[in-house]
Amino acid sequence: MTHRILSASLLIIACSSGQLSAQQVDFERDISPILEERCWGCHGADDQESGLRLDQRPRLLRGGDSGLATVVPGEPEKSYLIEVVNHVDEEMAMPPDEDKLPASQIDLLTRWIKQGANWPGQMDAVLDESSDHWAFQPVVRPEVPSEPTAQAAGLSPVDAFLLKRLASDGLTYSPAADPRSLIRRAAIVLTGIAPTPEETSAFVAASRLDSAAAYSELVDRLLASPHFGERWAQHWLDVIRWAETNGSEANLYRKNAWIYRDYVVRAFNEDLPYDQFVREQIAGDSLGAGEATGFLVAGPHVPAATVGREPTAIRQARADRLDEIMQTVGASMMGVTIGCARCHNHKFDPITITDYYAMTGVFQDVEFGGRSPEFSADHPRKQRGSELWKTIATQRKLLREFGGWEEDWGAFRELHFKPITTKAIRVRFKMKNIGLDELEVFGPVERGKNLAHARHGTKVSGFPELGLDGRNPIDRVNDGEFGTMTWRASAGKNSEEQPYVQFNFSQPESIERLRLSNNREYFYDTDYLDKEPNLPRYEFDMDVLDENGEWKPWVGTWFVNKKLNEQHPERKAALAQVQKAIDTLAEEGPRPSFVGRFVPPVPTYVLHRGSPEDPRDEVAAAGPAVFDGQLGLAKDAPGANRRAEFANWLSSAENPLTARVMVNRIWHHVFGSGIVPTTSDFGKAGAAATHPELLDWLAAEFVQPTHNSSTSKPWSTKSMIRLLVMSQAFRQGSSPNDAGIGKDAGSALLWRFPPKRVEAEVIRDSILQASGNLDRTIGGRSYRIHNEKKTYAQWEVVKNYGPNTWRRMLYQERMRRVDDQMFTAFDFPDCGQVRAKRPVSTTPLQALNLMNSDFVQAQSQLIADRAKAETNGETKETIVRCFELLLTRSPAPDELADCIELAKATDVSLVCRTLMNTNEFAFLP
Amino acid sequence: MNSENLSPLGQRLLDRRNFLHTAGLSTSALALASMLQADGLLAEDANTVSGEAPIRPDVDPSRPYQSRAGHFEMPAKQVLVIYCPGAVSHVDTFDYKPALTKLHGQKPPGLPAVTFEGPSGNIAKPFWEFKPRGETGKMVSDLLPNLAEHVDDFCFFHALSTDTSAHPQGENFMNTGFTMEGFPSFGAWVTYALGTENEELPAFVAINDPRGLARSGKNNFGNGFLPAAFQGTDFSAAAPPNNLRRPNALTSKADRLSVDLLKRLNARHLERFPGDADLAGRIASYELAGRMQTTVPDVMDISGETASTLKAYGVEGGSELKGSYARNCILARRLLEKGVRVVQLFNGSDPAGGNGITNWDSHSNIADTHAMQAEIMDQPTAALFADLKQRGMLEHTLVVWATEFGRMPFLQGNGTGRDHNPGAFTCFLAGAGVKKGFSYGESDEFGFKAAIDKTTVYDFNATLLHLMGLDHERLTFYHNGLERRLTNVHGHVVEDVLA
Repeated sequence: MTHRILSASLLIIACSSGQLSAQQVDFERDISPILEERCWGCHGADDQESGLRLDQRPRLLRGGDSGLATVVPGEPEKSYLIEVVNHVDEEMAMPPDEDKLPASQIDLLTRWIKQGANWPGQMDAVLDESSDHWAFQPVVRPEVPSEPTAQAAGLSPVDAFLLKRLASDGLTYSPAADPRSLIRRAAIVLTGIAPTPEETSAFVAASRLDSAAAYSELVDRLLASPHFGERWAQHWLDVIRWAETNGSEANLYRKNAWIYRDYVVRAFNEDLPYDQFVREQIAGDSLGAGEATGFLVAGPHVPAATVGREPTAIRQARADRLDEIMQTVGASMMGVTIGCARCHNHKFDPITITDYYAMTGVFQDVEFGGRSPEFSADHPRKQRGSELWKTIATQRKLLREFGGWEEDWGAFRELHFKPITTKAIRVRFKMKNIGLDELEVFGPVERGKNLAHARHGTKVSGFPELGLDGRNPIDRVNDGEFGTMTWRASAGKNSEEQPYVQFNFSQPESIERLRLSNNREYFYDTDYLDKEPNLPRYEFDMDVLDENGEWKPWVGTWFVNKKLNEQHPERKAALAQVQKAIDTLAEEGPRPSFVGRFVPPVPTYVLHRGSPEDPRDEVAAAGPAVFDGQLGLAKDAPGANRRAEFANWLSSAENPLTARVMVNRIWHHVFGSGIVPTTSDFGKAGAAATHPELLDWLAAEFVQPTHNSSTSKPWSTKSMIRLLVMSQAFRQGSSPNDAGIGKDAGSALLWRFPPKRVEAEVIRDSILQASGNLDRTIGGRSYRIHNEKKTYAQWEVVKNYGPNTWRRMLYQERMRRVDDQMFTAFDFPDCGQVRAKRPVSTTPLQALNLMNSDFVQAQSQLIADRAKAETNGETKETIVRCFELLLTRSPAPDELADCIELAKATDVSLVCRTLMNTNEFAFLP
Repeated sequence: MNSENLSPLGQRLLDRRNFLHTAGLSTSALALASMLQADGLLAEDANTVSGEAPIRPDVDPSRPYQSRAGHFEMPAKQVLVIYCPGAVSHVDTFDYKPALTKLHGQKPPGLPAVTFEGPSGNIAKPFWEFKPRGETGKMVSDLLPNLAEHVDDFCFFHALSTDTSAHPQGENFMNTGFTMEGFPSFGAWVTYALGTENEELPAFVAINDPRGLARSGKNNFGNGFLPAAFQGTDFSAAAPPNNLRRPNALTSKADRLSVDLLKRLNARHLERFPGDADLAGRIASYELAGRMQTTVPDVMDISGETASTLKAYGVEGGSELKGSYARNCILARRLLEKGVRVVQLFNGSDPAGGNGITNWDSHSNIADTHAMQAEIMDQPTAALFADLKQRGMLEHTLVVWATEFGRMPFLQGNGTGRDHNPGAFTCFLAGAGVKKGFSYGESDEFGFKAAIDKTTVYDFNATLLHLMGLDHERLTFYHNGLERRLTNVHGHVVEDVLA
C-alpha cells in the first residue's frame, strides 16, 4: 500500500505543476518525441519487452504483462506510466538504467493523460483480444469418419476416428489381445486390481463361446464393481494432490479429511454426472454435499502458527493459500495453468492478471480448515444430527427455567445465562494461567452472530493487554481466528490483579451466552497428536455495565455449576441429557471435518506483481474473461453465491474446456496417454492433440450422448469409460511390430495397446488379493502406518505391513512428503504439486523394497500358505497355484521346473517373492 | 558404473546403442524416446520464460543414472551440501559487525518493532569474540574455531536475503528454489541433469542429522515432480537405506536363488517384447540393487579409517551427537570418493527431533543453544573439509555450507535470543570452481539487511548450478504447463565468485 500512497503524493506534485501551465498538450509535438526517444526502443514495433507496446494507442491503454493499464485517459493517478517514470518503485523504474525523465517531460505526459491522452488518428482504434486457440473455441461435434474398415467390423465411432488416422500412415490395429491379457488389462484399468484366477478362467471360457458378449459382460461387471470408484478416485486425488496432512512444518493431520475421499469414490461409483461433480466440489455447501468442498482445500497450506507474526508474512500466506485453490481448480477442471497469471498476464494464454484475481474473488470465503459439512436432508448424519439438536433444544428449554448452565462442546465451553442488555461486559478470571484463542458472546436474536468480534466494532481491553512475555496480545480473543494465536495470561504468585477481558460493544446488546476456547483449530482441524488439544476448565465471573456506568456481577461459572446445582438438584437429569446429546452429536451427527471452512469474504484486489503489499483495482468474482466468465456478481456478493455461480459457469455445456479436459483425462487413464498429452494444460503451451476431431467428438458425446443413447446419460463418466474400453483400440494386443514402431514409436496413434507399468497401488492391492487377505471394505477412516506425534515433529512409519493395513492402498493415509518406506520409490506422489500424470521411474530402490520389505516377506508367506491349502500341498501343484494367484496363468514347463527347484532348495514363499518381482506382474499387458 | 560387473544379459540390456543397432530390437527404446519427446514437447518450438530454448537432459529411461554431460565444462563434478537447519546467526559467526558492540544494549535505530516471533528488544553485540583468521585475516568468531582455520579456502556470501522468515518455507526455498512444497530439490535437479559417476551407489544421498529430518523433511531432498529416480536416498552412518538388507529369515543362498529365478523369468517374458527398454531397464535395476547390497554397507563401514582420521573428525571425546555427526561426515567423504554425485549432509533436525537443542534455531539463550549446536558441527565439518582438501577432492568437488536465513542484530523481547532475519545472512562455498579466501556482498552496519551486492536465493542457486556446469535458465522439466526451473523465472549467476 505504501507505494500507492507515495505515488499519489508524487502525482499531486506533478498534477499541480501541470495546472500552472495548463495549455493543451499536443501529441505529435510534445509526447511522440518522448516516447520515441525513451520508450519505443524496448516497447515499440521491434521489441515488446514485458509484452508492452507503446507505439499504438490501444496497446498503450491495455498495458503489458503487468496487467496494469499504462495509460488511463483522464486519470494520470491510475496510469502505470506515470508511476514508473516517477520511480515510485525503484525496482520498476523506467526507463531502466538511464537517467530519469526530466520533470518537464513527466509533467507533459501527466497533462497529456489528464487531457484524455489524445492521439490523432488512433482514437477509435481497438484491439482484437479474442483467441483463436483451438481449445478455447466452442466444441462443435465433428462428423464421424466413414471409415470402411470400422464400418465393416461394426466398430464404434472411436475406432472410426482412430483407424482413419492410422490409415493415413498406412497402419492399422494389431490383432485382438488374448482373453487372459484382456481381462487383466481391463480389470486393472477399471478397478485397479488384477483379476482373480477364477474370474480369469471363467472369462477365458466364456470368450471361447462368444468373445463379444463375454467382454461386454466383463466390462459391465467391472464398471459396477465398487472398486471402480476407488480406482478412479485415486486418479482424481493425484491431480488435485489431495492428502490428509497440511504439509509445511508441522505437517498436521487433517481431521476427517477422508470423508472427501469417500465422496469421490462414491461419485464415481454412483456415476454422479460430471457437471454435478464439478458443481458440488466447488459449491457443495449450498447443494447438500458439504463434504465435496474438501476439493477446495486439497492442496498444502501453511498454518497460521508457522507463518510468523509479521503482517506482511500473514498476508503473503493467505495469498499463497488462495493460489493453492486456484491451482487445484485450474489444473483439474479447467485445464488451464491459471497460476501463471498470478504476477503478470499469462505468457501464453489470453488470461490476464485481472482474470486471476477475479477468480481468487470466487474463493475469497474459503479458508483451510474444518467445519461440520452440510448434508442433504436425507443424509443419515444430517437426520441424526437434527434429532440430537431437538433433544438439545428441549433440554435447554428446561434448564433455562433455572438460570444458567455450562456445556462442553469439546472445541469450546459454552456458558448459558439469563439474557441481559448491556453496553459492556467484563470477564474476570479466577485462575492463574489462561490461554484463550477466542472469547465469543452471543445473544438471543441473531444466534450465530459473535457480538464480541472486532468486525462489529466491539473494543477489547483487559489485563494483561500484551499477554505473557508481551507476545500474546489480548486482541486475539476477538479477531475471529482460532488456533495457536492465543491471548495468554499468567498471574504472578503475589499478583494483586487477576487477568480479565473487557468488551465494549458499539451499542447496547442483548446477550445470553459466552463461548471460550483455547485452541479450537486443533480440535476441528487435526488429529493424531500425542497430546489431545487441551480445553481448560475456565473459572470466571462476568460483570455487566448497568445504565449508571456501574459494573454489576451477572453470572459466573461457580454460580451456574455449583450454586445452581445445589439450589436445583432436580435439573441434574436435564444437564446430563444435554451433555450426552452434545457428545453424541460429535460422533453421530455431521462431524467436524477438514473440508474447508468459510470466512466472511474481504474485498478482492488485483495484486500488482503478485504482491499482497501492492493491491490495485478492486475486482468482482468472475471466471476468465476470454471464456465469458463474467458472473454478474456484485463485489460484495456472499461467498457461497460466488462459488455457486462460478460452478454453474464452469459446468455449463457451453464451457469450451470442461468436457474436453475430462474426456481427455479419462482417455489418459484408459490408454496411458491423453489425446492431449498435457492433461492439465490445454493452453498454447500445452501439447497438440493427436486426434483433435476425436477429442471434440468425445467432448460433445460426453455432454450429449448419441451413441448408445438409450443407456448413456449426459456427463456420465461411466458411459464415457465404457465407450473407450469397448473400442477395438482397447481390445487389441500390445505386441510390437516393425511397421508400427517405424511410423509411431510411441504408439500414440494406437496401432497397438501401449503396455505400461502399473502404479504402486496396483502392485500392493494385487499382492493382497493374491494372498486372499485384501479387506474389501469401501471407505472409512484411513489405515495408519504412522505414529502419533508431537506438533512439531516428523511423522514416523511405525508398521506398514500388519493386518490393519490389508486394505486397498487408496485408504493408506496420504501424507504429504512422508516416505512410506515402500511405495514412495514407485512414484507415489508427494502431494506437494498437482500431478496430472505420474512419472514412471525405474530405480534399484524399488527393487530393494519389493524384494526385502516386511510387507513382501509377510505376503509371500501368506500366498504360499494359501496355495498349499488350496491344493494337495504337493510342491508342483502349489507352484501352479502361486502362478495363478499372482500372474493369472499356469507356468510353462521350464518355468515350473525352475520354480520347483527353488522351492525344494528353499521354500515356496521364495517363489512367490520372485513372482511378485517379475516384469510380468508389474506391467499392464 | 563398472559395466564389467554386470551379467551378459544386463550388460546387453544396458547398452542403449545395442538396442538401437540390433535389428528388430529397437521397438520400445524408440517408443520411450518418442514418449519423452512428447512430454518434452516444448523443447523445440516453445521457449522457457527466459526466452532461451531449454536444454533437456538426455535421460535414457532404462538407465536414468547414466553419467551425462553438463551444459558446459566446469571443474566441479560432485557437490557436497552441508545444510544447517534453524538459521545460523551470521552476526555471531562469519559476519563481523563492530557497530553491534558499539550500540550494545540500545534500542535499534530504525529497525522494526515486530519480527517473526513478536516484539523486538535491544541491540546485542556478538556473543562470541571475533578474531582475524588465516592469511586473509577474515574476521570469524570463536564459536567456530575449527572452521575458522579454513577461511582462506572459503568464499563467503554476506548479502544473501530470502523471501520468508519461517523455517520450513526457508528450507524449501534454499533447497528447492520455492517456498511452497512439492518442487524438486537442488540435488534432484543436479542428478536429473548429470546422472552419476557410480551407478552402484545412489546418485544422490541425503544424510540426515542423527536427531532426525529437518523441518521440511523429505521436501529438502525430494524429487518433486521429477521422476522418483532422482530423489535423494536417505541413509546415515548409523542406518542403511530402507530394505537394503535381505530379510533375516533368508539365507544368502536362498536370496541368490530367488534372484536367479527372477532373471530367468524376466528374460523369458522379454522375448515377447523384444528390446523393450522399460522391461530391460527394470531388469537392470534389479542387478544394480543386488550390487548396492554390497556397495552401500561397504561405504558405510568406517572401521578401516585410521585412528588419526577418527580423531580429526572428533568421533570420540565430544557429545554423543557430535560423534554421530562426525561419523556422518566421514560417510559423506566416503560417498564422494566413490563418485556419488550429490551428498547433502544435515546438521540439525526439526524442533521435536531430540532432547533440548535440535538445530540452530535460537530464540532464547542463544549463548547456550548456538554453542551446543556449534560443538556438534564445527570440528567434524572442518575435518571433513580438510580431508577433502588433503585428498585432492576439492579439485572436482563443490562444497556448499548453507542455512535458510540469518538472525537479528537485536534481541527478542525475552532478552536472550535472536529472532529470524530474512534480510541478511551468510553462506559459503568452497572447492571446485570457486574463488578462495573471498567474500562477496555486504550486509548493512548491523547485519540487518543486505546492503552491497544483494544476493537472492535464486542468485545463489543459479550460481550453484553454474558451478556444476549447468545453465539455470535452460535446465528445465515440463510440469503442468510450464518448463519448470530450480530458479523459477529469476536468478543471476554471481560471476564474481567464480575462480
